[in-house]
Amino acid sequence: MHGSRFAELATIAAEAAGADTSSVRLRLIHGPAGFPPDGLTRPVPAFEPPLHDLAQWPSDFWLFSVAGVAICVCAWPTPAKVFSEPFEVGPPQATDRPDTYAYDGFSVPNPGFLNEPNRRIDALLTLNSSHWAPSYRDCLVTGVVLARACQLALEHGHGPVVHLHTPVAPFIDQQVSARGDGSHERLRDAIGPCVRLSVAVDPHEPTARLDFEQGLVALAEEYGLGLKLNDRRFNRVPGEWFTIRGFDRERYRQVRARMFPDPPMHLPKHAVVATVLGPARLGMAADVIAHLRATGAGVLAAAVSSVRKIGFVNLVLPLAEGADVSAPAWSGGWHDGVKLIAERCRLYDADGADHGDDDAFAGFKVALSAPMRCSYPQSSRRTGASVTGRVPYPLWLRWEIPNRTVGSPLLLSMVAENLSPYAEHTEVAYAQARVGRGDVVRGRAKLVVLLAQAPRDVADAQAVLNEVAERAQERTLEQLADRRLVGPGRVRLRLSPRERWLTT
Amino acid sequence: MRVPGRLTGVPDPLRDLRALVETLPVPSAPPTYTQREAALGLALLDLSLRLEHVPRVAEHLTLIDRGHMTRSVSVDVDLHAITDAQRRRIAAPTEPGRHGTSLWIPVSRYSRSDLAPVVVKDSTGEVVPRFTHRDSDRVTAAAFVRLLAMLIDAHRDVTIRDTVVHKLRHTHQRSRWLVEAALAELVTAGSLPEAGVRTPLDYARPLPPSPGGGREADARAVRDLALAGLEELWPADGRNGIRLPFAHLLSLACSQYMLIVLLDAAQPRRFLMWDAPLLPGRRPRAPLQRIAQSVLPVNREFVVEYETAIPRSVGAYHLTVEVNEEVSVRRFVLSSDVDDDFVRALTEDVEMLAEANAGQAPHRKLLELELQGIASRLAEIGRRRLTDLTSYRHYVAERRAALPGAQPRSMSGDEVVAALGRGDCSVPVLAAFAAHYAADGMRHLARGPLAGAALPALAAGIRDYQLGHDITTDNDPREHGAHAHWRRPSVDLSPHSTQPVRAVAYLSLADEAPALIESITRMVAGLALVVLGIGTLLTGGLAWLWSAAITPHSVPEQADAVVAVLLLVPGLLIARLDLPGTNSVLGQLRQFQRSLAIASVAVTTGLAIAAGAVHTDRGITRAFQLGIAVLGLILLCCLVEFVARRARRRSPVPRSARLPRWLRGTQRRAYAPDAVFDARGEV
Repeated sequence: MHGSRFAELATIAAEAAGADTSSVRLRLIHGPAGFPPDGLTRPVPAFEPPLHDLAQWPSDFWLFSVAGVAICVCAWPTPAKVFSEPFEVGPPQATDRPDTYAYDGFSVPNPGFLNEPNRRIDALLTLNSSHWAPSYRDCLVTGVVLARACQLALEHGHGPVVHLHTPVAPFIDQQVSARGDGSHERLRDAIGPCVRLSVAVDPHEPTARLDFEQGLVALAEEYGLGLKLNDRRFNRVPGEWFTIRGFDRERYRQVRARMFPDPPMHLPKHAVVATVLGPARLGMAADVIAHLRATGAGVLAAAVSSVRKIGFVNLVLPLAEGADVSAPAWSGGWHDGVKLIAERCRLYDADGADHGDDDAFAGFKVALSAPMRCSYPQSSRRTGASVTGRVPYPLWLRWEIPNRTVGSPLLLSMVAENLSPYAEHTEVAYAQARVGRGDVVRGRAKLVVLLAQAPRDVADAQAVLNEVAERAQERTLEQLADRRLVGPGRVRLRLSPRERWLTT
Repeated sequence: MRVPGRLTGVPDPLRDLRALVETLPVPSAPPTYTQREAALGLALLDLSLRLEHVPRVAEHLTLIDRGHMTRSVSVDVDLHAITDAQRRRIAAPTEPGRHGTSLWIPVSRYSRSDLAPVVVKDSTGEVVPRFTHRDSDRVTAAAFVRLLAMLIDAHRDVTIRDTVVHKLRHTHQRSRWLVEAALAELVTAGSLPEAGVRTPLDYARPLPPSPGGGREADARAVRDLALAGLEELWPADGRNGIRLPFAHLLSLACSQYMLIVLLDAAQPRRFLMWDAPLLPGRRPRAPLQRIAQSVLPVNREFVVEYETAIPRSVGAYHLTVEVNEEVSVRRFVLSSDVDDDFVRALTEDVEMLAEANAGQAPHRKLLELELQGIASRLAEIGRRRLTDLTSYRHYVAERRAALPGAQPRSMSGDEVVAALGRGDCSVPVLAAFAAHYAADGMRHLARGPLAGAALPALAAGIRDYQLGHDITTDNDPREHGAHAHWRRPSVDLSPHSTQPVRAVAYLSLADEAPALIESITRMVAGLALVVLGIGTLLTGGLAWLWSAAITPHSVPEQADAVVAVLLLVPGLLIARLDLPGTNSVLGQLRQFQRSLAIASVAVTTGLAIAAGAVHTDRGITRAFQLGIAVLGLILLCCLVEFVARRARRRSPVPRSARLPRWLRGTQRRAYAPDAVFDARGEV
């Protein structure tokens, strides 16, 4: 059952055993969307003790941007210091950009969290069939759904939530006319009111997997949500989905009105980013989200991930109406953080039930941003390509590049720059890169582009996106070769309007 | 040489750890491992478990007698697969006056029960320096002590006062040192015996608890806290998921050694070879089979099974076997469990679905998704095994044997599903299933017969047919040698696995033409002719062969001459035969033939005695009649042996329990091999 986890354990421990790499330094940044991450990680922050020369390049990079706010994490291997607690986070530091704050953290290695040789179950929950415009009430329902889904992963799947994102690109099967490649994949919106989560389950515990999936089906039926699971037929790749049930608008509205009759139905204007950090543990996301939801806060957007076995639960929480929009950024321990969140983001009088024992939260830290103004993308109804085409489209990027050649932020900037001749606006919605085996940085990203020239129709939009993606990809590869940043043949980069093309 | 009686696997090293915590003296100072030693130990452990820098492994086996085998291992090493960060940890200290970096590189793991020294040489024949076991033990112990520290530091209770982990980390360090000492002792001395006397505590009565509960500084309290720490860090219910991986890692560290060599980083591609310790064979008990092989004309084969483990990351593995020139390799097949993990997960999925269907059936679309996942994997396995079966069919066809089912029966989709529902997961059925699946013939499975009562039978079928085992056949043109080239599949079905691939080579050796049986047949025929001639001359005709009548005056007048002929001719003939010693493989193969030869000589000797000692017509006639009858019987045995040899040559599939059921088909009975060589301690 744990046939290969002992090797993962040895690898993690070996990585953490070097004198210069025995701990992890990280920098977390909260700020309005659109900041160039490259500028915030270069030059390398002045940590104490200073980083080893060879560790100047971050080993991990992670970015999430939505509703006009962005969260970015960079991690560096670092020498150990005198032990005080497993995870520490510093006070918010102002940067040279307005409302943008950086938090420096320090973590000991966490070899006890093993999840690699697991089977991943990806689920796509649809919370609405229209474009992404979440009201306060929707945010509260989203919070409930996230908490329930994470709880299911813990109690039924017995596995950790590897990724969780909302909002994400929706996926709609197209039955009438197939795309050019013969698939039934319809042109996707950049973002939609969907939750995508990936749970690692033990491949030799299929009952747990089915229990988890049945729990998701029951959850979707209870709330009227659409549910798709990753198509796990042999030879299928991430980005291919199997529809379990469609979205039921009436039921969703009924449930929403029954559960939260009072909160307003308009879009939140301000939001704060709450990041809960700590050594990754099984059930971390479930505990944190359930506890925060119990304070009466809604969830506008969420991103759960882990970087070098440090768990991150990033929640964009709508600021309560009438709350102070000039409140300062803050960081500190779990209990104080929860109180502060309740003060700023309580949307209704929740039960405030105590979720689990307090020891479960020992060692977790909270970084809370200053309130930021939200902005929402224009988007068509159901899909972006219906009439005008003046809507954002997603482009997926995947790369493999030798470590210490081109940093991930720089690479993303290059790709965005190469897209600029064809796009009115380009934004990195999500990116994750980490140094893996063979000292190679492997990364994935989702970019959102608003084409400069409005496509005539869906077919035209598809053709233009294909063309743009290919040109930007080739141009980036040329630039890498011309600037002699990377040796020939040592970089792989794929930019595509279809997620599942990245793996082929 | 391998020490008998020691097992390579340890079921629960944490049990050993607890036993050592109970018995080792409580340290009063922390261990003195440096961070560099810990980093080196962990890096070596990591590299040796994955061996990603070893793209190719070749083993050359030589069967020296029926119970021993020499083994020469060669590996290609590619240091490009080792990253800079890893290199920094495994770099050897530079000697004064020498430039360049040298790296300690693990190239193999082998069982601690192998005690013979191993000399590693490179392509020029120069001996490559090795890491000593003592140093290896020390850095491995340092690695585990460091790992323990990491696990304690990252534990959620480390900041909560008065918890066991907090005490271990901050206030009661002697307990932590005790755990560290126990880890170091376990790694250095190896695992404790699994049964019998394990520790000094087995000789002592349980001590009464000290009155008043004792003090915190007492050894008992220190030990109790250390034991509580073990339970907290690696809980028996496995709730934090770390117990089994840690236990597995520890069991490998205390049951195997790493073979670590010093290589110059300036030469990233190297070829290394070494002679592994002599491998003793095990002879499975099968008394009836052994007797039958010795006394019946069954054309005895000498069957060898060689078990080995191939690192999962190795792309190519060559296994070459060499035997005595007079022995022929009749069949050589290598079977590995490369897809076993994938098939096991598939079986568990089918069983789970069968169980779920028996209760409250899952959502219809969920059931469809599960069934589609199962069907697609089953189709892929069917496609792979068909490729194996085709290559095996070609292999046996070259050896004048034929596998049944060369002209397959076409099956409709319904027939295939019905067959699967009966638990028939033979390769033709799976191949037909793969074809129907590829042609979109299996689109709506949730409403079909496969969704219901067929699932338990299907799961049993997948398990029974051992579909996760592949087959690689011999491609060596020599008769007294064999070679199999195993390649890792281009699409690895268990991409995350780092478990070694377990492989079994089946080798059947036979005495092929020109074989001893042919010479013996000629000799027996010659002796029969001599007896026939003498008998005919004495009785004056051939009637004595069938008639019960006694011919008068058939007693030889010159008995000495008859005796001389009956003694000299067989003596000369048997001297011309090359009868091998019984301990060699050839001796085993020719055991029955030798018995025939000796029996025929015994017959003629008996006749010679009769000719010299019997002086009645009746006696001499009956003696010659008996003699010719026995010789005829021996001749018949020789002929049956020829028929058995022909049948064995044409036997399509060896009767071995180690070959997968999908290849053996309906054949139920398997024969025990003559020798089993287990080299799985080396990965």
